Amino acid sequence: MRSSAWKVVAGLGAVSVALVFTQAAQAAGKLQEVLSRGKLVVGTGSTNPPWHFRDESGELVGFDIDVAKMIAKGLFDDDTKIEFVNQASDARIPNIVTDKVDIACQFITVTAARAQQVAFTVPYYREGVSLMMVAGGKYPDFAALKAAGGDVTVSVLQNVFAEGMVKAALPDAKVDQFESVDLMYQALNSGRADAAATDNSSLRYYMKQNEGRYVDSGFSWNPQTYACIVKQGDPDWLNFVNVALRESMMGTTFPTYKAAYERWFGETPSDPQIGFPAEFR
Amino acid sequence: MDAFLAQLWIARWPLFDGFLMTLGISVGAIVFGTILGCIVGIQLVFAPLWLRFPFRIYVDLMRGTPLLVLILAAFYVPAVLGLSLSAAQAGTLALGLFAGAHIGELVRGSLQAIPPGQIEAGRSIGLTFPQILANVLLPQALRTSLPPWINTGVELIKGSSLLSMIGVGELLLKTQEVIGRNFMTIQFYVFAGILYLVVNIALDMLGKSMERRLGARL
Repeated sequence: MRSSAWKVVAGLGAVSVALVFTQAAQAAGKLQEVLSRGKLVVGTGSTNPPWHFRDESGELVGFDIDVAKMIAKGLFDDDTKIEFVNQASDARIPNIVTDKVDIACQFITVTAARAQQVAFTVPYYREGVSLMMVAGGKYPDFAALKAAGGDVTVSVLQNVFAEGMVKAALPDAKVDQFESVDLMYQALNSGRADAAATDNSSLRYYMKQNEGRYVDSGFSWNPQTYACIVKQGDPDWLNFVNVALRESMMGTTFPTYKAAYERWFGETPSDPQIGFPAEFR
Repeated sequence: MDAFLAQLWIARWPLFDGFLMTLGISVGAIVFGTILGCIVGIQLVFAPLWLRFPFRIYVDLMRGTPLLVLILAAFYVPAVLGLSLSAAQAGTLALGLFAGAHIGELVRGSLQAIPPGQIEAGRSIGLTFPQILANVLLPQALRTSLPPWINTGVELIKGSSLLSMIGVGELLLKTQEVIGRNFMTIQFYVFAGILYLVVNIALDMLGKSMERRLGARL
């Protein structure tokens, strides 16, 4: 009897010691956890160029990947100390909530509804819809497309909102929906469509791949903000990531961000203004 | 077609890795599921009622749940409890538990199909129960379970494609990654479909030939 009572006490003792240790680990926070682990665990996808995809050698590349590397560089001064966890788009929030990953950078659109479940970092890109035309074609820019009214056909990737999305910019245009991206571009190439409307980033990347063959209409709409997400309730970790991201867009590590932006979008972001910090203007 | 072959050549290693991953996970799950299923099947027939009950619950729970739900549960539930499984581990666990329940039912059915007179005959010549099980019942039961066991294997190989949902780099996800880069949607999905078909037909033929060889000895 006595020995079994001792066993219970010993068992409770072991459990409470374990609890104290886990609480200590939690109290130290995600930042310390990541630093002592020696690598950053990043959730992202692998099927969406130019954001996160595998290049021909099977390496994970893209703008999201480069953003994650900027954070790892800030942590370890080594952008290779990352473990990428491959996740589907609908696993982005669950994997954060269940601590599968430290951070997710996977073209996550910032919305108030999502902000109730996870903490958004500062944004690193603003997505929109843009129009692309064949270079030297009938319509050189957005004004020409708009002026042509109902004579213009726009090819777009098939989805429920596609028609409304195009009409928001070109109310009279004909909308041709296609079930895959390559068919949408083919419609433009074959002249079935006068312009293709899709995500600004996808268009930029495609234009970069096919240098000189296409032009941008110069008009974009449907803004949506992309940011990384972290778990709620750890302000130090969120603040660290925010500092790493903000300084890569505004401060010392801007050259890395600039190089990534040029590589994936074929454009050079304007240099941060020296003097008064523009973000507080 | 030439463009497809060129892209296929570029993507050969990732696709091969995915193919190996599909095979590895399927084999792991079927081995795990078969061991588990044999234990479960025997318990369902011979265990005392109180012990039979938890096995019954396990089998009904696994068979009544969609495989995708099992996979998501195996990925997220341990994480909530503080145990972090990798996606491949969680996926193999889910497929193995799923297979264990199905194979358990197969083994149960096959054991119950053996006339009870054989157990009595075994006892009357002085065999212990483990001896009866090993020498009389299981050799017959496993032989009758073979065709549906092959079916379960085929289901598992197909089911492993669902692991792409939790980010396991198996054949389907690797195919989607290639399509994400070159937009050759139909060509590469058809190619992946053919690979699944080849493996499943090969497994089916293997099963048929084993059935013939074992059947000849009946």
